[in-house]
Amino acid sequence: MRLLEVENLRTIFRTEDGPVTAVNGLTFGLDAGETLGIVGESGSGKSVTALSIMRLLARNATVTADRIALLGENLPDKSEAEMRRIRGYKIAMIFQDPMTSLNPVLTIGEQIAEAVRLHLGLNKREARDRAVEMLHKVRIPLPEKRLGDYPHQFSGGMRQRVMIAMALSCNPQLLIADEPTTALDVTIQAQVLELMNDLQRETGAAIILITHDLGVVAEFCRNVLVMYGGNMVEYATAEQIFGAPRMPYTQGLLASLPRLDDREHRRLDPIAGQPPNLLRLPRGCAFAPRCAYRMPICDTPVPLYDFGHGHMARCYLYDERARDQRPPAAQALPVVPAGSAPR
Amino acid sequence: MTNGSTLVRAKELYKYFPIYAGLTSRHVADVRAVDGVSFSIEEGETLGLVGESGSGKTTVGRLLLRLLPATKGEILFEERDVLAMNRTQIRRLRRAMQIIFQDPFASLNPRMTVGEIVAEPLRIHGLASGKGIEDRVRELLELVGLQPYHANRYPHEFSGGQRQRVGVARALAVNPKFIVCDEPVSALDVSIQAQVINLLEDLQAKFRLTYLFIAHDLSVVRHISTRVAVMYVGKIVELADRDELYQNPLHPYTQALLSAIPIPDPVLEKRRKRIVLTGDIPSPVNPPPGCRFHTRCPVAFERCTIEEPPLREYAPGHFAACHWVEEHGGRGPDLT
Repeated sequence: MRLLEVENLRTIFRTEDGPVTAVNGLTFGLDAGETLGIVGESGSGKSVTALSIMRLLARNATVTADRIALLGENLPDKSEAEMRRIRGYKIAMIFQDPMTSLNPVLTIGEQIAEAVRLHLGLNKREARDRAVEMLHKVRIPLPEKRLGDYPHQFSGGMRQRVMIAMALSCNPQLLIADEPTTALDVTIQAQVLELMNDLQRETGAAIILITHDLGVVAEFCRNVLVMYGGNMVEYATAEQIFGAPRMPYTQGLLASLPRLDDREHRRLDPIAGQPPNLLRLPRGCAFAPRCAYRMPICDTPVPLYDFGHGHMARCYLYDERARDQRPPAAQALPVVPAGSAPR
Repeated sequence: MTNGSTLVRAKELYKYFPIYAGLTSRHVADVRAVDGVSFSIEEGETLGLVGESGSGKTTVGRLLLRLLPATKGEILFEERDVLAMNRTQIRRLRRAMQIIFQDPFASLNPRMTVGEIVAEPLRIHGLASGKGIEDRVRELLELVGLQPYHANRYPHEFSGGQRQRVGVARALAVNPKFIVCDEPVSALDVSIQAQVINLLEDLQAKFRLTYLFIAHDLSVVRHISTRVAVMYVGKIVELADRDELYQNPLHPYTQALLSAIPIPDPVLEKRRKRIVLTGDIPSPVNPPPGCRFHTRCPVAFERCTIEEPPLREYAPGHFAACHWVEEHGGRGPDLT
């Protein structure tokens, strides 16, 4: 049984301008102990996906899904009280900005203790010991002393380590990290990623890492899910995504990125146009208006194509039916069978 | 790219922001944002200025344009003393030097149309009037890849990348020689970043512009810069030609910084060795004595805790401020 299975997730926000479709029929899953990177640009739906699973969205959001199963248990069937037992206990989450996700009027010790007393039923003394142990694990120097400090007494990198300590304090099966290092400087980012790596090896928790930074994904994740316009457009191992991307959007992202190891000055190859308007998502491929390979068939809903070894992409370039519509540059591409989303 | 003439020169530049406390607002300490920085920028080149938060890189940019008064030091623009200029002279100077800001949301007045925003510098400097303004605004918008009809729209109607184009058009309106680009692409999505970087490169070639490109993203800086300066807590710790700096970094901080950047290539990433620094970036209010990096430096020795290392030239055009490098005949440590 997979740790998490999400089927046909759809999240729509009611706004003054009309319904905004943030997640548009997403299906994916992950195994215990896996690291899955979800990448995409602003508005692609990656954070909303996480918040939809956790049921943490504001009331103007409508979340529907055929299934959101954590080890076979369907989360949408749970009551709010049951969800509270799951959040922080079975699924923990850390956010981009550690300052706004910590309570400024509670000490670090109280915040960690709160979670373990609630979920693990520890008494006051045990909870304190657990907090010290966790702070020690995330390499906060002098944890017994720092327990009584408030969040503002910590630096940004230390706060994020406190968040990680808190998130892992109840041994969750799944940790969702939403842009955990985006607000941090690079040398501090390196510390935090190394820490997350070590702790994952130790605890065996699965991690969903949400980020816009393709470098972080390459470093950290086994599998990668690329989102665009509220849905998955490509899914594969990190090696496949970076070595042989199939979807023109993924290819475009990699071509538009200046790299630290570029020896020669190469002109960047940007993706033309602007990200899609979520108020008016097209019926077909959301990327089509910016795509260099656009074909007439792209205006109809696109299935996933299966490239083998778990590699999927949502693009008509590989469809038998589109063979005669392909632009010259795409003539040599293989035709592959339609597949179903990774469950 | 350069013809060897120096456009901007900063000598021993300092900027302290005083901190006041207590009922009498006593001056208790200073944020030493820029603490003795010297460099020059050649005509037609792009000097990249990189550093982490609190390194002082943004303050350096503002000092050059005199958007902030320097505490001490000297700034020469075309050999003229910028810090000695009066208001009229400063205004004239601003026609030659402009700035593009990081946040395309906060740097455009939401109550002005894009046309008014781009026209404002033309009016202020009396560069055009009447129909001339309209024509010039249209020309500028087309130059940065926008449409003439965009002039009648407001900033909120644009995406981040388009707004940044408006900021570029505004900076170009006065035909400047020198532009400080302060994190111009940091707030943009990856696919849009490349559009703006290409635009900046095209404009530089077309108008022989000189850039100071301030950023924390070392991949972007490598792409766009001719030379690169690395700052750490108010000081330049290394300065060299782009390729020299990236291929042969001398200072342990530069080495750690470069090794910390993940490369979007998982096969390469698995082979790379990363130098993970311990500890946090020190506060510029109370920087460590001696070399500011010694608290995190894997090769620091006693001298580093006492004596501040000067920025010295170890190879032609390659400067570093490090005692270890000095004592090892201009060689950098092997930290990986």
